[in-house]
Amino acid sequence: MFNPFPVVIADYRRNRLLVGITLALVALAVAIGVAVIAQERALRQGSARAADDFDILVGAPGSPTQLVLTSVYLKLQAIPLVSGEVLARASNARGVRYAAPIAFGDNYQGYPIVGTIADFATRGGMLQPASGRIFASRGEAIVGAAVPLPIGATLHPEHGMHHDHDEEDGEHAHEHSLSYTVVGKLPPRHNIWDSAILVPVEDVWAIHELPSGHTPGSTQIGPPWDAGQLPGVPAIAVKPESVSAAYGLRGQLRTAESMALFPAEVLNDLYSTLGDVRDLMSLLAVATQVLVVVAVLMALLVGFLARARQFAVLRAIGASQHYVFVVIWLEVSLLVASGAAIGLALGYGASWLLMQWIAPRMGFAMPVSLGIEELRLAAALALSGVVIAILPALLSLRKPIAEGLKV
Amino acid sequence: MTHGSLHIQDLRFGFSGQTADLFHIPDLTLAPGSSLGIRGPSGAGKTTLLHCLAGIEPARGSIRWGASDLCQMDARTLTQWRQQHLGLVFQDFHLVEGLSALDNVLLPASFSAWRASPAQRVRATELLARVGIHTPQRHAELLSRGERQRVAVARALLFAPKVILADEPTASLDPENRELIGALLLELAQEHAATLIIVSHEESLLARLDACQTLRAGNLHPVEAAHV
Repeated sequence: MFNPFPVVIADYRRNRLLVGITLALVALAVAIGVAVIAQERALRQGSARAADDFDILVGAPGSPTQLVLTSVYLKLQAIPLVSGEVLARASNARGVRYAAPIAFGDNYQGYPIVGTIADFATRGGMLQPASGRIFASRGEAIVGAAVPLPIGATLHPEHGMHHDHDEEDGEHAHEHSLSYTVVGKLPPRHNIWDSAILVPVEDVWAIHELPSGHTPGSTQIGPPWDAGQLPGVPAIAVKPESVSAAYGLRGQLRTAESMALFPAEVLNDLYSTLGDVRDLMSLLAVATQVLVVVAVLMALLVGFLARARQFAVLRAIGASQHYVFVVIWLEVSLLVASGAAIGLALGYGASWLLMQWIAPRMGFAMPVSLGIEELRLAAALALSGVVIAILPALLSLRKPIAEGLKV
Repeated sequence: MTHGSLHIQDLRFGFSGQTADLFHIPDLTLAPGSSLGIRGPSGAGKTTLLHCLAGIEPARGSIRWGASDLCQMDARTLTQWRQQHLGLVFQDFHLVEGLSALDNVLLPASFSAWRASPAQRVRATELLARVGIHTPQRHAELLSRGERQRVAVARALLFAPKVILADEPTASLDPENRELIGALLLELAQEHAATLIIVSHEESLLARLDACQTLRAGNLHPVEAAHV
């Protein structure tokens, strides 16, 4: 058994620059493809996971995308309110575990204050506070894991989208007289709701001088509601008792005055668009890969032809044809395969870094992982290198030793 | 029959596409351990003749090193023969840059084994010391021309071949190294009882060999000692 590695390593050592450039080009080509695929998947998985808490979303007729973005991802925008009657109907409909009003618009130092019911805060009992307890009366709040408020802290809500220190009492921010006391903290959900402050929806309505959903003077929070006292809300999160109930509820709540949707439906449309973009970018990435591989192989081929004399000398001093063939084949194959492996790591790293930057802006964690698709991409490139490397290796076999020595 | 004896019979070589042969050597015999110089004008075919004797260039007729007739061997057998019995020294050394002097000497061992044996490593180190290279780990590209040729000579001798062929081994060296390498080749060939054939223009080197022939007009012509 011969050992081609002394020559292979010596050639790499001697041609460091060419090796470096080749590795970088192949790695970059793979990294682009990997990053595109991994990011798209991370975005899809992250956004889908964030929407898990919203089985059915009910809002006033309008843009489903806007309703999902506003309520699921708390990308707060002014959206039309759905009437209190719809909330009452949803709350009393058969097959409903809970119908939670989602009322927003206030914030505390940029952390959105969301008025809702205890059932939603605990996701129907599935989510227990990490510390403290759930709100049980007006003026209490439970905060998400990322809100830097300790239990016992009090906060004054500000109305508006943003908190602006420069504005003393501008249109965008003004404080309300009501205050909340933090009574609990939720465990991390790795989405924008970690930054939310959940309070009884009755307090949010009170701040905006709306009826409380109960008979005047009542201090009750949460359902049952007094239908005549229910104000409109931006969105209602409905938790069905079963999958079959979910479809029935969605149909029931789709009326002239309300739309009901599964967030997944909206996300699917978004994913479809995202997928198209991904496909296009993947195509460009593959085209880049092909060009890079062709360029690299052409350069290597020219390099090998120029080194015909070296290989002839090896043959003259006793190396077999197989030895020289394997030297050339290994040199190309290892370069392309190593480049593909580095590209895989680079692509993953780039995706991870990019997601660290994007995730806070998107409002949900995006799990970056390497899937079979990326591995297949890198493997395809490595395999093509292994196959194409046969060409210069075969060419070396065809050249007689004496001819090579005369080069 | 020892591997170092050479018997050429009716050797003809012509480049493809040319009707006339470049050379025709009816008969040539060399005793094992002897040395022969070949000189001649440029283009006479000296290097090609050396390549034929090394089994690199296919020729017609018979080139018999011991019992092995190179003209009758297939490519695989020729490779094995070169590996086992031949040491080649080139004008331009042809060391593998990026490898140390020691690894260059050991390179032929990698053609048939994954790792050089301890005995081969010892021999390579001794050979390097013998040719005056005392920095065996130094990379080939960092050596002077004279040092590189000395490493090339050591590489040619790794398997103690019985045939050493050298093509203008001193042509690209300065006068001091020319003298040194020439003397070294002769000494080592004698030490190993190897048959040495040198193609050269250098009269002082040729004068030290047992015999010298001129390749001219397609034939080898003996040179009188006084004319070398």
